[in-house]
Amino acid sequence: MKLYEFQGKALFREAGIPVPKGTVCTAGDTGGLFAPSVVKAQVLSGGRGKAGAVQIVETRDEASRAAEAILSMTLRDEPVRAVLVEEKAKILKEYYLAVTFDGEAGTPLFIASASGGMDIESVADQTPERILKVPVDALWGPTDYKIRAMCDFLGYGDRREFASLVRALWRLFREKDAVLVEINPLVATESGLVALDSKIEIDSDAEGRQKALFDRFRDEQARITGRRDEGGQDTITYVPLDGDVGLISDGAGTGMLSLDLIRDFGGSAADFCEMGGLTSPEVMYSAMDQVFTKAPGIKSLLVVLIGGFNRMDEMAEGIVRYLEEHPTSVPLVVRLCGTMEEEGKTIMRRAGLAVYDDLRTAVSDAVRFAKGA
Amino acid sequence: MAILVNRETRVLVQGITGKSGLLQTKSLVDFGTTVVGGVTPGKGGTESAGVPVFNSVAEAVEAVAPNAAISFVPPLFARDAAMEAMESGIKLLVLTMEGIPKHDVLDVLAYAKGRGIRVLGPGTAGIISPGKCKLGAHPSRMFIEGHVGVVSKSGALSYEVGKTLTDAGIGQSTVVALGGGPIWGMTHRDAVELFNDDPETEIIVLLGEIGGSTEIAAAEYIADHVRKPVVSLIVGRSAPEGKSLGHAGAIIRGNKGTADSKTAALREAGAHIASSPAEIVQLVRKLR
Repeated sequence: MKLYEFQGKALFREAGIPVPKGTVCTAGDTGGLFAPSVVKAQVLSGGRGKAGAVQIVETRDEASRAAEAILSMTLRDEPVRAVLVEEKAKILKEYYLAVTFDGEAGTPLFIASASGGMDIESVADQTPERILKVPVDALWGPTDYKIRAMCDFLGYGDRREFASLVRALWRLFREKDAVLVEINPLVATESGLVALDSKIEIDSDAEGRQKALFDRFRDEQARITGRRDEGGQDTITYVPLDGDVGLISDGAGTGMLSLDLIRDFGGSAADFCEMGGLTSPEVMYSAMDQVFTKAPGIKSLLVVLIGGFNRMDEMAEGIVRYLEEHPTSVPLVVRLCGTMEEEGKTIMRRAGLAVYDDLRTAVSDAVRFAKGA
Repeated sequence: MAILVNRETRVLVQGITGKSGLLQTKSLVDFGTTVVGGVTPGKGGTESAGVPVFNSVAEAVEAVAPNAAISFVPPLFARDAAMEAMESGIKLLVLTMEGIPKHDVLDVLAYAKGRGIRVLGPGTAGIISPGKCKLGAHPSRMFIEGHVGVVSKSGALSYEVGKTLTDAGIGQSTVVALGGGPIWGMTHRDAVELFNDDPETEIIVLLGEIGGSTEIAAAEYIADHVRKPVVSLIVGRSAPEGKSLGHAGAIIRGNKGTADSKTAALREAGAHIASSPAEIVQLVRKLR
């Protein structure tokens, strides 16, 4: 779950990381506006600065106008429904500091840069030498010598202050099950380091043990957006594409392979729809439903199943039930093999549905049917 | 020989009495894997799929001496189970579950590091050394014993390629699925290193996909150390930019993690590039 800036800053405050004083205003509640201040759109995507959704104001009137303007914006398809109004900070220097994980190395990772305030991905692309990546042991955390290395790399003068901030960041990262805690910019002021922005994402896999945290932030987000996100139970990945061969697979790897083969055979896929490797008849049913509902114009449907954990009898059951309830004239090509294959084939046969064994033949037929041949 | 698992592998199933654990244990036993015991706290003294159940890994170690563990323990308890197995001296862990909290996975990997413990997964379909041992969900009849070592992130793609090789009469030494991420214990490079050192493996098949860079790390290792023929298939070459395709890492951002950049690195390292499972068969036949 991604947090709004003001939610992340509440966590910073609780963790002892300094943030500017501020208040949240919505269209219906602008009583907290003050000036001089910075008025910042609260959205989950980035790129606010360039869109004019962060404004510095000197008077209360300006603040009202800025808030009104920002609250009428839509940034990357996300309507702005709240602004954070904060005291201006006197910035001496801007840094970037974050903690996340490197999945391929299997370790937590601190990232520090003296080029704060900028888009860190473009800094990484253009001037990688300006970024320091420090992997840390999950069980040891950031040891003193690694904190010193970061502090020296940034060139910040007060090592003790920096160390206590890094440790607070680490505790927050661990205790709240965060997958990303980013401060950009972290600024040096006359009174020390202040987090001017926050970007926090909490691991949705940890919801079972972070119930209170999830409830708190979901309630807040619901008050702002007017709708409560109950978290995703759906394991289906659906990506719309622009072709006419519908595609469903029970694995990302075979899904991508099928996508490539469809193109090799001269066809083009209408979607990428992957159910995950441990699924159920209900998920199979729902995948069919998504493909037919989101792309009603498909000319054929290719279902690529190869069961390990997945049971082919359950997959066949989902397909047959869907087609009984939603008869279609769209040609269906089902490749089904693996765990409980015989049972699955029997269910399909009884319903009068053909089953393929070879993937190439299946893809080639699906493409041919889409072309009306 | 094969890699990671063979005839000497004595398997402990953690979470053996759950729905998934029970079904998969039956499949392992049917295959012929030496499953010496299972663990479910509170169910010690019973049997599950004909296998003795213990209350703790320590009890199981004492009684039946397992040397590998496969876990079907629910995500929120997976870390504790993994720690228990590692502290009891088990050196190979297969974590099948998806949805284990990220910090728990990081803890397990941190503990395993430097102690000679290998962790496969999480979210992995596991591993099969045909004719010897299966420690995962691979559909048994898609695999036959032989000399081609296969490593893949995706479980389904490893079955697909195994099936295609088997249908063509080409056997496999070991087939490894690494899992769909976003955090990995073993990576492509680790598996390639093991295959390179395995006398039974004559050809290595590396299956990769768009996103991330584990195939690139493997390519560097291949260039420096591997003298066995390597055949590689990278899937997702027709994927649109900026759209995440199922696996956490499977997304193209700019020119990074593209199928082209990976095939170029692998080709440069001396690997033979296939564009489909059928082409893998052709290349393997030529290289044998």
